[in-house]
Amino acid sequence: MNSLLIGCTGRSRLPARAWLATLTALLALACAPSLAAQELADRWGPNAPASANGGRVDSLFWLITTMISVSFLIVLVMLIVPVLRDRARPGHKAHYDEGSSLHDKRFTAIVSVIVFLVLDASVLVMTMKDLREVVWNIPNVEKGAYQVEVLAQQWAWNFRVTGEDGKFGTPDDIVTINTLTLPMDRPAVFNVTSKDVIHSFFVPDMRVKRDANPGAINQVWFKPVVAGSYDILCAELCGYAHYQMHGTVNVLPAEAFKAWEKEAGALALTAYDSNDPEALWAWEWKE
Amino acid sequence: MTPSLLRPAMALLLLAGLAGPLSACLQHQGSLSEDDHETVNPPVEQAVGLFARAPLHVPLVITEPAKLVSPGEDFVETLAAAHPERFRKDGEHWADATGEFTWDDDEEIYWQLVPADVLTRGRQDFVQFCSSCHGLEGDGYGRSAQHLRPPPRSFKQSSFKFTKVPSDKLPNDDALVTLVRHGLGGTPMYPWAVSEERLRDIVQYIKSLSPEEEGWRDAVNEIGAVVETGADPWEGKEAQGIAAGEIAYHRNQCYGCHPAYVTAAKLNEIRGVDKTTTYAADVTYPKLKKDSSYEVLGYKVAILAPDFTWQTLRYSGNPLEAYQTIAAGIGGAGMPTWKGAMPDEDLWAIAHYVRHLTDTYKDKPARAAFMAALRAAP
Repeated sequence: MNSLLIGCTGRSRLPARAWLATLTALLALACAPSLAAQELADRWGPNAPASANGGRVDSLFWLITTMISVSFLIVLVMLIVPVLRDRARPGHKAHYDEGSSLHDKRFTAIVSVIVFLVLDASVLVMTMKDLREVVWNIPNVEKGAYQVEVLAQQWAWNFRVTGEDGKFGTPDDIVTINTLTLPMDRPAVFNVTSKDVIHSFFVPDMRVKRDANPGAINQVWFKPVVAGSYDILCAELCGYAHYQMHGTVNVLPAEAFKAWEKEAGALALTAYDSNDPEALWAWEWKE
Repeated sequence: MTPSLLRPAMALLLLAGLAGPLSACLQHQGSLSEDDHETVNPPVEQAVGLFARAPLHVPLVITEPAKLVSPGEDFVETLAAAHPERFRKDGEHWADATGEFTWDDDEEIYWQLVPADVLTRGRQDFVQFCSSCHGLEGDGYGRSAQHLRPPPRSFKQSSFKFTKVPSDKLPNDDALVTLVRHGLGGTPMYPWAVSEERLRDIVQYIKSLSPEEEGWRDAVNEIGAVVETGADPWEGKEAQGIAAGEIAYHRNQCYGCHPAYVTAAKLNEIRGVDKTTTYAADVTYPKLKKDSSYEVLGYKVAILAPDFTWQTLRYSGNPLEAYQTIAAGIGGAGMPTWKGAMPDEDLWAIAHYVRHLTDTYKDKPARAAFMAALRAAP
C-alpha cells in the first residue's frame, strides 16, 4: 500500500514492474472475499447433490439467500445513510419523524408490495414448480421405481426391500438396520413410518427430508446418480439417542447392485425363520 | 389507548403470561415421591394404528431393596481389605457394618443387598435410555422392539450374549458396563455415553430384574469375569496366524454353523478325510439355528451364525475382541465356550482369521469373486 501511495503522489518514480505487482496484489485483495466464501462453502457447506433433482433444492436455496442478502444490503443502506446525513451537527438540527405523512405511508406500501412480489412470490412460484414437477410427482413401479419401506424407531432405521420377486412380505425380503443399498440411476421411492415417536428421514446428500409419523405412511423419493456412501440422519428430536440415529445409503452401479440383491436375497432366505411371528412385517405399498 | 396506559397494560399481560409456567415450575420442585406417579407419569394410552400396543403404567420409584448374588467371595475380600472400618471378621467370613454384603451359611455365598435408592436411580435412567427397546419392565419387548431381529435382551431370562464371560456364568458388573459402553454392531444397541455412576446404577437395576429363583436371585448361579486373554502368540506374524486360523477354523468344524471359506477339496485336506467326501450345498452359507433357549413372547428365537464377509459383527472389532468372543462363547446361541476346548494358540489364530475375512471382504468388491470361486468349485 505504501508504495502505491508514494507512486500516486509522484514523490518517487516506480518501475513498471512494481506497478504491475501492486495492481496484481490489489486484484488478489478484491478476489479474496469470493475465494474465502468458496473455501467456506467447500469446508462447511453441503456436499454437491448426489441425486438427479438435488440441484433444484440448491438453486432454490441460493435464490432465497441471494435475494435476502441483496434486500438486506438495500435496507442497511437506507438505514445508515439517513442516520449519518440527517444527524444533529453544527448548523444542522435533527428532527423526529413518525412517518405518518401520506408520502411516507405510500412509500411503505409500495416497498411492501415490491418485496412481496419480488421475494415471496418468486420463491412461491419456484417452490410450486419443484413440488409439481418433482416432489409430488412420485414414480411408480412401471417407471422403474425401486421401493423401500422405512420403519423408524427409537433409535434406528429399519429398511425393508422386496428382493428379486418385487413383493413385500415374502421370505426373500431384505431387511436391514441402518444400512440401505440402492441402485444408481433408478428412482428410489420410500414409504416412511415410525413405530414409536416422530422421526425424520433425512439424506442431506440427496436433498431429501421427510417426517416419519407413527400411524401414517409418508412418501418421498429421489434418484441417486452418483455411486458412493451417504449419511442418513434423523432430523426430528426423538429422544435420548437421537444424535446416534444415523445410517448409511450405499449407492451401487446397476450391475454391482444386481449382484448385491441376489446375494442379499439368498442370505435373507437363509436367515428367514418360518416360526417367527414378526419376521414378515411389511405394509401394503402406498402409491 | 393513550401511551401512558400502554406500558402498565403490557406489563400486566406479560405477568399473566408468565404466571402459568411459573406456578407449574414451583409445584414440581423437589424430588419424586411415590404419590407423584400418577401426576408425572399418567398411564400411557398407546396410539392405535399400525403398531399399536397395550396401555402401560410406568411406576418410577422402587421401595424394596433387592437381594442379589454378590460378585463372589474374592470380591468381598478385596472390598474388606479396602474398607477395614466397614468390615470385621465374623468367624471365617466378613460381616459388613452397612449390611450390604451378608454371608449365607446355607447357600455358602455372600448376598448383596442393593439399596432401594440405587434401584430407583437405575430404574429412572433405564426408563429413559433403555426402555424403548428393552421394555419398561425389562422384558425385552418395548414399543420399539417389535419386528426387531435380533430381539432386544429380556432381563427376565438372565441369558446374555457377547459379555465375554464364559456362558455358564452370569456376567459381573464390569462386563455388563463394558458391553453397554461398547454397544453391539449392526443393532440399535449403540455405544451408550451414560456416565459411569449412572451406568453402575442401571446395571444394578438390570440385575434386580431377575425373577425369583432365577439369575441373580438364584444362589446356585456363579458370577464370572471377562475371559483372560494372555499374550497374542501371533503378534508380529499375523500372516502366519491367519493361515493357521484358516486350518483351525475348518478343522474345528466352525462351518457347522458359520460358512466354510475354502473349497471342498481344501476342506478334506485340512480335515484329513477321504478326498471324495462331499458337503451340503449350503456349506458356504451361514446356517440358522432354530429353537434356541431364548424366547420372545413364546417364540424361540432363531439365531443366525454370522457370515464374516457379510454381516456386521456384534462385538469383534479387532483380534482381541474376536478372541474373547470365541473363547467365552455366546450364551444361549449355540456358540460354546471354546477356551479350554482347543489350544489357546488356535483360538488366537481363528480370531486373526475371522478379522482378516471381515477386513478383506466385507462390503468390498473382492467378496463376490471370492465367494463365487468357492461355490463354483466341485
